[in-house]
Amino acid sequence: MQREVGTLPLAPALRARLAAAGFQTAQELLDTGPCGLSKEIGISREEALEALQVVRQECHGDAPRTAGGSGATRKCTALELLEEEQTQGSIITFCSALDNILGGGVQLTKITEICGAPGVGKTQLCMQLAVDVQIPECFGGVAGEAVFIDTEGSFMVDRVVDIAAACVQHCHLIAEAQQEEDHRKALETFSLENILSHIYYFRCRDYTELLAQVYLLPEFLSEHSKVRLVVIDGIAFPFRHDFEDLSLRTRLLNGLAQQLIIIANDHKSAVVLTNQMTTRIGQSQSTLVPALGESWGHAATVRLIFHWDNTQRLATLYKSPSQKESTIAYHITSHGFRDVQPPAVTQSTEGTELNPRKRPRTEGEKQ
Amino acid sequence: MAAKKLRRAQLSQEMCERLSRYQITTCQDFLCLSLLELMKVTGQSYYEVQKLLCKVSRACAPKMQTVYEMKLRKSINPSSAFLSTTLHSLDRVLHGGVPCGSLTEITSPPGCGKTQFCIMLSVLATLPVSMGGLDGAVIYIDTESAFSAERLIEIAAERFPTYFDSDEKLLCMSHSIHLYRELTCCSVLKRIMSLEEEIISKKVKLLIIDSVASVVRKEFDTKLQGNLAERSNFLTRGASVLKYLAEEFSIPV
Repeated sequence: MQREVGTLPLAPALRARLAAAGFQTAQELLDTGPCGLSKEIGISREEALEALQVVRQECHGDAPRTAGGSGATRKCTALELLEEEQTQGSIITFCSALDNILGGGVQLTKITEICGAPGVGKTQLCMQLAVDVQIPECFGGVAGEAVFIDTEGSFMVDRVVDIAAACVQHCHLIAEAQQEEDHRKALETFSLENILSHIYYFRCRDYTELLAQVYLLPEFLSEHSKVRLVVIDGIAFPFRHDFEDLSLRTRLLNGLAQQLIIIANDHKSAVVLTNQMTTRIGQSQSTLVPALGESWGHAATVRLIFHWDNTQRLATLYKSPSQKESTIAYHITSHGFRDVQPPAVTQSTEGTELNPRKRPRTEGEKQ
Repeated sequence: MAAKKLRRAQLSQEMCERLSRYQITTCQDFLCLSLLELMKVTGQSYYEVQKLLCKVSRACAPKMQTVYEMKLRKSINPSSAFLSTTLHSLDRVLHGGVPCGSLTEITSPPGCGKTQFCIMLSVLATLPVSMGGLDGAVIYIDTESAFSAERLIEIAAERFPTYFDSDEKLLCMSHSIHLYRELTCCSVLKRIMSLEEEIISKKVKLLIIDSVASVVRKEFDTKLQGNLAERSNFLTRGASVLKYLAEEFSIPV
């Protein structure tokens, strides 16, 4: 109640008038009442009433916050967070090595950034995740929907159809092997049409459309509350050309990062961004580093870098709060993102009907 | 979309006038400002500014479509998804041919046959759909002056002798291939930007740029300071316009 007038979210002109009239705290405003206020500063009674309602809303918002309830600032103990994190699922990638280094898969409520040279598989992984997020819970998935924001235009519908078909087939095989009732029931809703109709696709042509879309995202997510994954494919592309003012770019990117963090936390969804690589020219040699500068490196919680080693694709976990840095190899097959099998196994199972590069069923889905 | 005037974003007249005093006339300017700056500029309270932001964002945000709708739309005309190259193994590897609606890049050391391949694709695009073509015109932007019309006629006559049996048909085909010779980066960019109207008026179904690298390498010496940034600026700007053209008209580039 002792809140200063200058910190209230009123129009600047109004605030200036209140300061000139000598009001200092919110309590004083509430005590004066709308008629007194309108006479003192010379505004109409309706405007005074509106201003007082805003003040009252703000002050009432303060009270429950200090009592530790849920609001803009959430206070809870580490134990509650631990319980939450343990029951929270993660989105599997169908490549068990990658899931292992990520600690189970792509974590919800965190921002994961995937950097890599062109052609290494970033968009493929995004499409795989958009399908995997919809896997029903009895198979170990999070049973959510996906939002795909595309800025580069590299989204191919036919490829998603291939990946989704492979995923459905994989789940069918598991269901047949384990013969449980809830598996069969889940499979009824887990069909190709269902998967495709729950991936919401937005094509943003430049950074203004991207900014506008991210502003509208919270509203969209509250309408579609089952969304558990937001993919922005190519966050670097619209920001890399046509920007003379680099400080504006940094500011916009930071604002974007803040909003994405809020979205990830409020809606319990994972945010996945893909970034490009740029060359940093050093003293004697040049190295490939993620684009968009140093300050953008702080935006993502988890950073994965994809790179080539001759003909083998490798993924390195570069930054993570809970897992250690490590590198694994992966494969992109016609069915999507998969593990690399050790050579002996591939040769012996080449002739079987099952795709030998699919995740082995003995590992199964958790629980 | 970004250059959309605020007037058309359904903001009130007086708000637009007030904003134009601060030189904020397009959606792009509006969305680039932070919340506090917007409050100062519009003179509105925090909640009002948030509502305004939503209104402006809605005016320029892209439309949502589910992937299922996209798939249905594609399956309605399957023949327009690819331009077959008539080289069967290449078509198999490319899953049908050169995809419509996206950019395809052909690179190789000199002399391998890139320009020949482009000339052949131009012939294929002018063929009717029943023969695997796109039945449309072709825009060929040539930066190396390597396009030879005689070779074009030769390829058409040898490859499809039954179709191009008369001179008239050959003339008709060469008439629908529009050649533009551009020799500098600026003119290439200007040409690309002006293509939208030409594509509609001439019913163009294929866009070829031969080649991007030659004109860029001629003008931008990467050893000089600052040239690298300018070069990538030019390339990304050109790329985004080409992507837009490819997607909007569903043509291969």
